[in-house]
This record gives sequence, C-alpha cells and structure tokens, in this order.
Amino acid sequence: MKTLNRTDAVTLTGLHKTFTTPRTKVEAVKGIDLTIHTGQIVALLGPNGAGKTTTVDMILGLTAPTAGTAQVLGLDPHKAVSSGRVSAVLQTGGLLRDMTVYETIKVIASMHQVHGRIDEVMERTGLTPIAKRRVGKCSGGEQQRIKFALALLPNPDVLILDEPTAGMDVMARREFWNTMRNEAIDGRTIIFATHYLEEAQNFAERTVLISRGTVVADGATEQLRQMISGRKVVATMPDARSIDQLMSEEAKPEIEERSGMRVTFRCQDSDGLARELLTRYGAYDLEISAPSLEDAFVQLTEDAS
Amino acid sequence: MNPTYVGVEFTRHIRDGYNLFFSLLMPSAMYLLFGNIPSYGEEVLGLGNVKFYIMASMAAYGAAISTVAIAGTVATESMQGWGRQIALTRMSPATFVSSKMFVATTIAAISAALVYALGAATGATTTEWWLWIAAFGITMVGSLMFACYGIGVGMLFKSESALGLASGLMVFFAFFGNVFMPLSGMMLDIARFTPMYGYVALVRFLQLQDVPAETGFAPDALWIPVTNVVLWAAFFAIFALIATRKARARQ
Repeated sequence: MKTLNRTDAVTLTGLHKTFTTPRTKVEAVKGIDLTIHTGQIVALLGPNGAGKTTTVDMILGLTAPTAGTAQVLGLDPHKAVSSGRVSAVLQTGGLLRDMTVYETIKVIASMHQVHGRIDEVMERTGLTPIAKRRVGKCSGGEQQRIKFALALLPNPDVLILDEPTAGMDVMARREFWNTMRNEAIDGRTIIFATHYLEEAQNFAERTVLISRGTVVADGATEQLRQMISGRKVVATMPDARSIDQLMSEEAKPEIEERSGMRVTFRCQDSDGLARELLTRYGAYDLEISAPSLEDAFVQLTEDAS
Repeated sequence: MNPTYVGVEFTRHIRDGYNLFFSLLMPSAMYLLFGNIPSYGEEVLGLGNVKFYIMASMAAYGAAISTVAIAGTVATESMQGWGRQIALTRMSPATFVSSKMFVATTIAAISAALVYALGAATGATTTEWWLWIAAFGITMVGSLMFACYGIGVGMLFKSESALGLASGLMVFFAFFGNVFMPLSGMMLDIARFTPMYGYVALVRFLQLQDVPAETGFAPDALWIPVTNVVLWAAFFAIFALIATRKARARQ
C-alpha cells in the first residue's frame, strides 16, 4: 500500500471453489490470494477453464466460495453490489432478445434507481442511434456494448469485465477498448478477464496469470510478456547430418520436438535462426510462431511446481 | 415491486403475438365457440345457466395457461443469464419475484375477465350475484398452482420450446380434466386424478352444489376436488423446487 488511507479495491484471501456434481468434483479455484489497489487496471489472463469466470463470480457475490473470502472496497461482495460500487460485464447471456436496447437499459437503471443516468450512459457507449432496436437483432459487438452500458449505469468505483470482447471482430474489439480507455480516465478500478495476451498487453498495467485455478504469475504486464516471449521455429532439414551440425554450433537452439527431418526449435532470436537454417543448411517449409498462451501457461505451471 | 420493470414486462407480453393469442384470445374464442350455442346455452344449471358454466370453465383454463406462460419465463430468463444481470443490481430477489407474480396474476385476471365480460354480454346468468365474484376469485387463486408447474418445466429444460410443450400439455390436462367437455364413465374416473380436474371442479362447485345427483352435472363431494388440488399443488411445488436446485447445480 502506498498510502495508509487507501482502501483496496478487491481483496481475495485463500479463495477456493469446488463444484460438486453427483459424479465428479471439480476444483475450479484452488487458493487465490490477490490484492488489487483502487485505480489500477488489472488483467486476469488465462486460458479457457483456468478459473477466471469463477473468480469473477465470487468477487461479485454470484457464487459463494467453498473456502476463503472475497472483499470489494472492504465490503462483502453483496453489499458492494447492492450499493452500486462494483458492477460487471458478464461473459454469458445476460440480455433478453425480445427487449429493445432502450428497454433493457431503462429496466436495469430502474433496478439501480438511477433513471437520471440513462441518456448519458447511452450517449457514451454509442447506443443512442440503435435505442429502438431489439437486442436479438444487434450484432455481437453491439450486445457487448449494451452490457457495458448496463455496467456503467450505477457509476461504479470498481468495474469488472469478464471476456468483454469475446465474439467481437477486430474492428469492434478496437472500438470497445477505445471506449474503455475513456472510462479508465475517471480513476475507476478496472479488472478484466481475458485469454488474449494482446489485450492484457495493450490495456493493463498489471497482469495476473491464472492457470488451473491458481495464480502462476503476477506482475507488470511487460515483465510477463518477456517471460513468454520465445519463438518456435519449425523446419524440415535436408538430412540428419545438418541437424547434428547445427546442434554442434555455439549458439545452438533448443530442440523441442523432432519427427524424422521435421524439427521444432525453440529460441529467442527466431529471425537469426531462420536465416541460418535457410541459407546455410538448406532447410525448407519453414514456419515461425509465437508460443500460444496455453503453451506458456503449461510452461509456467511446470516451472512453478 | 418495480413499476418500470412491470411496465416493460407487460409491453413484452403484448408484443409477443404467440403468448397473446394463447393466453388472452383463445379462451375467449373458445367460449364463443362452445358456450354460445343457443340450443342449450340458456338452460338452467344449478345457480346459473349452461353459459355461465362454460364461461367459468374457459376462464379458468385461460387463467391457468397465462400463469404457466409467465411463470415459465422466470425460469428461461434466469437460465439465459438475465438472472445474473439482475443479481448485479440493488433490486432484491423478492422484488423480482413479486414483480413477476404481479404481471402473471394481472395477465391471468385480464384473460379471465375477458371471458366473463363476453359471458355477461352473451347471456351467462346466475341467480346469485356473488357467484360471479366467487368463481372469479377461486379461478385466480387456483391458477397460482400452475405457476409452479411452469417454473418447474422451464428450469428442467431451460428452453422456450419446453415452455411451448408445457402450454401444449395444459390443453391435454384440460381435456382430460373435464374442463372443455363433460366426461363420463371410465374417462371421468381417470380424470379425477389429473391436475386440472380439482381446480375447475372447485370453480364450478358453488354453481353446481345443489344440482340433483341423478343429472350428469352433479358435483363430486367437496373432498375429492380439494384433495386433487392439494396433492397436485404440493407435487408441482416440489417439482419446481427440485428442478430449480438441479438447474442451479449445473450452472
């Protein structure tokens, strides 16, 4: 904490959640400790099924933790929600298709008792031109903007977004984050769950990596990006001798996988390796790829254990 | 209760042609078709005439089917994530339920009132004025048991087509519950065990109470419809509870 009178936006202590069905027991969240200060923009980054949505649900009081506690602005989640100090864009559903955009906003505004904010919020989220359209006729991006507008209605101090750009095309995604940036200027705390590394990179000052229900890394976004910055180079070598020759060199890459003459290398300087392979070794069918986030998580979890 | 929410719910219901047709127009249309036949409509039956009997039956059917339709939307909407959205506002679950109940009872009342108005206009009569109010009141209270049925089916199957099925089954229950046409013999014996039998028998009871036993319209002893209603209401309530729990566990 930088100053003493600063309240934390979100505090998670020993948070666990286990879902029990007659046949199976799924541990979705296996002990998360996390403190997020007010005014921070934090990304919860993790592959699908990492426990992000379950964690978000517990922060919002939609799901009760099996063990541990979640606090928002020093309050019980239910209190924070009912006082309008925290709100969220939920990942699944949340809208009724046969209602118009305006009706949806009007109804939720009435439930928050904030009728006066309807026009302002609709203007800010660009919904005014489609106010009379049925929700079911809106595109994925438009529906996401409606949910975003609903989250802004109570003028919350803490805004939580669960996969806010899921199902959006590139243009809609860019537009959405532009709108978001304006909201962040007000000094709101913004927490968003995503599985796009790029979104965390462009928008969050801090990234918390979640995998298999635990925090595997937590820090400045740039720092985390470095950790998973290696590249994969896949190429078909002309013969086994050239592989031996390459591996005997001083700056040899790491071989991750080999089947016949098709070899997967892992290295930091992929451009340099590609140049070598093509010009000196006569390799062909060369491909360069960044490791997927899933790969990186597997790597990080293995490192952690 | 939240007036804005209730207002939008009414608008949605009226905009939905399918619901509007089945819950508001069909019962009235059926009364006009079956109840308004001159050959027997004017005949005296208990404290009223045959028209009154058919009017009360069709109104009971309309009220029940309206309740099922609206209660069912509670379930499908909560499954679609609307419940989660509402959970993020300061409105309490009790306000949500009471707002929906208000909409359901109002639509059911309008549906039944339309049939009563048509009845009054086309010659349904009773010797006792209070019979109108009593039959209407029993209809409204009794129709609430079908709210549980609607919620249960909605929660169990999570889809709007399931609600269509639930409403469709109501037509079957109505035929088999002695609602549309008088059953006799073995059919009537079986009917006594079906969910709409007790409800509609109670609606008719006051009109028919003094009808002599040798005519086909004499009512059962009061305990038979009462037992039917109590058991089915309890069954639907438990069904709704179990289906809701099951739906929550899967989320």
